[in-house]
Amino acid sequence: MPGRIHMAIFVLACLAGLAFASVSTFDFAQHLDRQVHDLHCSFIPGQRTAAVEGEAVGCQVTLMSPYSSVLRTKIWGGLPISLAAMGVFAFLAFRGIDLLGRTGAARRRAAGWLFLFSFVPLGASIVMGAIALLELEAACKVCIGIYGASLVAVLAAGLAYASCRRLTDDVEPDAVAGRPAATGPGNGVWALVGFAQLGAFVGVPTLGYIAMMPDYSRYVGTCGKLADTEDPGGVMVALDQNNATAVAVEVFDPLCPACRAFDRRLAASGLDAQLHRRAVLFPLDDTCNWMVEGAVHPGACTISEAILCADGAKGGGATSKMVIDWAFEAQDAIRGATKDDPTAAKRMVSERFPELAACVGSAEVQQRLNKSLRWAVAHSIPVLTPQLYVNGVKLCPEDTDLGLEYSLTGLLNRRGAP
Amino acid sequence: MNPMVLRVGLGLVLAIAPTMMAGSWVRGAGKRLAKIEAGEVVADDADDGEVAIATAADEGYCNGDLRKILRRVLQSCGLLGSGEVRGCQPVQAKNVATMTGADFNALFLPLSQRAGIIQFDKDSAELDPQDTGLLDKVFADQRGASYFFVVARSSPEGSADHNRDLSQKRADAVMNHLRSTFKDPDLDREVGMLWLGEEYAQLDQDFCQWSRSGAADKCKPKDLNRSAFVAWIDCRL
Repeated sequence: MPGRIHMAIFVLACLAGLAFASVSTFDFAQHLDRQVHDLHCSFIPGQRTAAVEGEAVGCQVTLMSPYSSVLRTKIWGGLPISLAAMGVFAFLAFRGIDLLGRTGAARRRAAGWLFLFSFVPLGASIVMGAIALLELEAACKVCIGIYGASLVAVLAAGLAYASCRRLTDDVEPDAVAGRPAATGPGNGVWALVGFAQLGAFVGVPTLGYIAMMPDYSRYVGTCGKLADTEDPGGVMVALDQNNATAVAVEVFDPLCPACRAFDRRLAASGLDAQLHRRAVLFPLDDTCNWMVEGAVHPGACTISEAILCADGAKGGGATSKMVIDWAFEAQDAIRGATKDDPTAAKRMVSERFPELAACVGSAEVQQRLNKSLRWAVAHSIPVLTPQLYVNGVKLCPEDTDLGLEYSLTGLLNRRGAP
Repeated sequence: MNPMVLRVGLGLVLAIAPTMMAGSWVRGAGKRLAKIEAGEVVADDADDGEVAIATAADEGYCNGDLRKILRRVLQSCGLLGSGEVRGCQPVQAKNVATMTGADFNALFLPLSQRAGIIQFDKDSAELDPQDTGLLDKVFADQRGASYFFVVARSSPEGSADHNRDLSQKRADAVMNHLRSTFKDPDLDREVGMLWLGEEYAQLDQDFCQWSRSGAADKCKPKDLNRSAFVAWIDCRL
């Protein structure tokens, strides 16, 4: 039968895509318990590779990015894109197997529509791949598996359709048998049935997913609060010029990778525009912070001093935002260099911001940084970064990644509530 | 088997599979969440490490006796309780510490790397640049300490009353410099002042090895005691 091999390849590609999408959805759903989990990040679906740090990071970045799901402000974590992908691949696999049992004009029409539908995952793959490459600058093996399966599926469907077109044009099996050719339903009906099936394949799992989800609204605002958000010691650094009424206090370390990731997630969510963010510097570096053992982030005290210098009158042309942005970009280099040479962080600050050189290390700025750490003591906050308090109410640490948009929206909506 | 039935059956299987899988994963996460909420340990790879709470430093030298004496001194100096600062005079310091001058000085021996001795000129309460430099350096290095002690003294030349006043002026000079330089709203809650004049707990030459603002050759007992001893105390009370 013409195109049988191509259709077999098509079905296998769809099943592979279904497997990769399932693994991705499984990893996503694991996090619905608000805990941190290892990821499956391999070209072999289901194989764990958490030990291989470089590989797991790409999967982690893409999974935690705001592009991995939709409706994040309405549903905790949002609806994973990979769940829709599971439905699409299952639908295509079904249509592929179904096609193998069809003959004549029905087979030609089915092959045509299948070829058309196979562009759905390919189009999504192109969009998601571009986001991963250009926006997230991360490569995820499971995602690449989905992209590859989508591409193979389109090629196989195209070849199968070409085979069917030739056959029906030249030899119509039913006509050869001397009977009237079965015309079957028209293209409009084919399209309607196809789209309805696709909708069902995607919609039913989605509705099931939503129906099974726990109620996360009861966790919003239950992780503690600050006694006050006043700043009599002048330790806080403004992170934006927003005129928002919601005041956010962010406890962070400029050399902490989690803080950088959180900052980027917050910016990507767009919710930062509804906040007036002020930072309390809390470097996890025992050079200045007596609450940690050893330098978790070597150089963080010096960089924090530079941020405070830029925030004050001694900043010259540099602003605290400029120093924070630079520190986030150069985190790995600063930490690495300072681990080997304790003076490296100050040297790097002086090279990048010469106007801050005299201020960094001065008694005044050291004392201000100390006050920042003592603010943490006075408010009995956990030794942990990042932390976000919105109008004094803490965003739960479990909600700083996948649940960020949902929980932060919940905190913002609590404003004015009794 | 009827091909249509086969098709429908196959379609149902492929349609239901994603729903069943996703549903079971979400249900599993919900069950784990309920267990975590109930305080149960969930046996998976979740990270459930305890997180410490930010606290002031409490170093090993803060033994029970030192804590008791510090509390008495601080209460007498008005730091604890009302928050009104008035400082301790020699007689009060002797009463609250109920110990010899040597034992009093011994309290501060563990602070050899944290303290500074601000040396004044004879019959003077003026801070010179060397003095302010050392004072700023010591004060800026607060770390997790809760209290800053300023223990001012004078050498025995002159009358006891004059020396008591002089040591008070020296303590005040240190406090005024801190107030104008650091503009710290917590200063009055952190800085405890004692002025001992010439009457109590004079420093001996063992303190020559400590950080001082005086010249290397200015380390006779009379030079050492024209001074204000400054240090952060890393104890929680």
